Amino acid sequence: MQAPSSNEPGELIAGATSLVAPVAPRRRRGLSGGIEPYLYLLPGFLVFTLFVAIPTVGSIILSLTAWNGVSWDTATFIGLDNYIKAITDHRFQIAFWHNIVLVPYFVLLPLVIGLVPAAVVHQLQLRGARWLQAGLFLPYIMPGVLIGVVWAWILNPIFGPVNKILKQLGFSPPTWLGDFTWALPTVGMIGAWAAYGFCYVIFIAGLQKIPSELYEAARLDGANTWHEFVSVTLPGLRREIAVVLSVNLINALRAFDIIKATTDGGPGDRTQVMALYMINTAFGSRQAGYGTAIAVLLAVITLVGSMLVLRLFGDDDD
Amino acid sequence: MTLDRRELLKRSGMVSAGLAIGASAATHTVVAQDSEGLVFWDTLNSPPRSTIAEDLAKAFSEAHDGISVEHRGWETDELGNTLPRAVEGDQGPDVAQVNNGEALAGPMIRAGQLVSLKDYVGEYGWDELMPPGLLARNMYTADGTTFGEGELWGVSAEAEIVGFYYSRKIFEDNGLDVPTTFEEFEQVLGKLREAGQEPLLFGNLDKWQAIHLFGEIQGTYTDREYLDNLIYRRGDASFEDDSMVKAAEKVVEWKNNNFFLEGFEGINGDDAVPLFTSGGGAILMQGSWAAGEVQEAMGDDAGFFLMPPHEDGGTVLSVGGVGIPYSITTNASDPDLSAEFINTLVSEDAFNAFVDAGLLPAGDIPEDKIVEGTLSGDLYGNWNQALADDAVGHYLDWAAPGFYDILTGELQKLLGGQTDPESFVKALQEAYASSFE
Repeated sequence: MQAPSSNEPGELIAGATSLVAPVAPRRRRGLSGGIEPYLYLLPGFLVFTLFVAIPTVGSIILSLTAWNGVSWDTATFIGLDNYIKAITDHRFQIAFWHNIVLVPYFVLLPLVIGLVPAAVVHQLQLRGARWLQAGLFLPYIMPGVLIGVVWAWILNPIFGPVNKILKQLGFSPPTWLGDFTWALPTVGMIGAWAAYGFCYVIFIAGLQKIPSELYEAARLDGANTWHEFVSVTLPGLRREIAVVLSVNLINALRAFDIIKATTDGGPGDRTQVMALYMINTAFGSRQAGYGTAIAVLLAVITLVGSMLVLRLFGDDDD
Repeated sequence: MTLDRRELLKRSGMVSAGLAIGASAATHTVVAQDSEGLVFWDTLNSPPRSTIAEDLAKAFSEAHDGISVEHRGWETDELGNTLPRAVEGDQGPDVAQVNNGEALAGPMIRAGQLVSLKDYVGEYGWDELMPPGLLARNMYTADGTTFGEGELWGVSAEAEIVGFYYSRKIFEDNGLDVPTTFEEFEQVLGKLREAGQEPLLFGNLDKWQAIHLFGEIQGTYTDREYLDNLIYRRGDASFEDDSMVKAAEKVVEWKNNNFFLEGFEGINGDDAVPLFTSGGGAILMQGSWAAGEVQEAMGDDAGFFLMPPHEDGGTVLSVGGVGIPYSITTNASDPDLSAEFINTLVSEDAFNAFVDAGLLPAGDIPEDKIVEGTLSGDLYGNWNQALADDAVGHYLDWAAPGFYDILTGELQKLLGGQTDPESFVKALQEAYASSFE
């Protein structure tokens, strides 16, 4: 895709206009000829600069300071000390490890739970799937805090329906979110529940573009449903799987809202994660500089993680 | 089509430019309004508190030729995070609640964002509103480095004390009296468990109530001097103290004796209140701020007592303190007017409005407001006694910035059997000591 040799984007647009509109283009006067296209870009550029570029550069600068978040006068430049502190900070290491533990729950589990019904609906040509689609997608559009509050209620050991049922069945269930053994898997399962609808919808969309001839050919070759799934459906969904893996991985690494609303990192530090630790450090401990360094590290880790996923599962042709 | 689209883009560009100009104009209007009247930010964000704040603002406005007095009620965290940056950007209110100690007051004083109230104390008699032990919580040295002494930087309208709400009916049915000693309290808890009742209700999923549980028990083993030194960060006070170890051991013992609500680890603190009021247990550990909710649901079937001492007649430092104090920010266009307004927020009218709403204002409650055999009567009677004994303790998470996370995390570990009392106290001391570095 080589760009045409013209250096004047304004001329390009004017040229395109002349192709579409039968009326000869008006000759522009003064500055508008050369600047106009840039003016169209200006609102987007301003928004990007204001809300992405400046905060990013600002965060990187802040992360190199010791600042209590109250007055600029108190900020002092300390170079990379915050980053060195983070790497050696036992509490940050624990939080990082918990994010890693959450990866199977936030990334792989929703992928499997989303893929199976999508494949079943598509391969068996089930009717009424649209309703199923809407229902399965619902958790994904719910705010994480709301999901957390609702699940904390469902799993409430005293009022909640889960433990009531389990007790009636003769079990003695744990307190789930308040239990040192169960808290992390429980928030992981809540995260999986919140994400699988997204996977389902992406897969359903991806399945539409797999040519039905491939399934017919597979059947002619004697393939059963499982063989169709492995040999046609899965390879056909490679790009979608890459998208889902990278989006879910980003969600696993930046996990915050569900955990804040359910356990707030507890019991002890059993569900402490990087984003929560970042907030507590920047605002709770008033170490805004250090908290920002954690935020930058979190962004870098997330970027590297999602690039790795795209490299491993992305389309080699691109 | 193409021309239309271009026209649309042009117009949207004009709209964007217009919005930008409009936004800057709006900002100027806010600043202009700010200089004409008073803006105050606090955490009185829902009735009856917000109604009291707005009524007082209205009365102040009427007494000052209709000057505009604008109130904004925030969530505590949100206010704490927004206020310093708003003041830094010259967009802050004239008067605001500034959380005590290193939570916010210290850093804001050091940043030159608050106005000392030392010139107004005499004029308005604010030093006589509360006993010295409570007043100290709103004090800092002029340079903002030492908490608990020096000048007054804020005035509190409300106060707080943590204690135990109980069901008179459940106590009566089980032949129990309000305990007057710590040992009696333990016997009551044991008898309630034997009788098949949930003895002590609280919820620790959202962490904060364990601070109160531990603080209440620790308050029976400690004294004023030690606790003040620890919280005001004076001298060599350390968490590695007998009172801390004993309290931690007692917490574990109570847990092992099943004195706590079964499943307390999995419910939020505020969920324990409706559980109690609906008959789910005999005793609820909660602050005075829950009195309204308990009163509304249970009427005078509910009573209130403070943590009893080990020996009859002894003193216990109950967890509690002053409400978040009102301070004047350096953005205030007229500090004298702001001070006068603060005085309205702690006036007799304000005091009575808080009492009438079943809330706890900062100061002695007049005897005629105390009705025996009622929940508010129990609360106010106990509060007056605690004031008279100088027995209002502290929230231990005030000890250092960010200490809340450490303390709540370690308490959850203690209650979950993941640490022992000695290691628990050691971990607290390590975090406390590192806050001085």
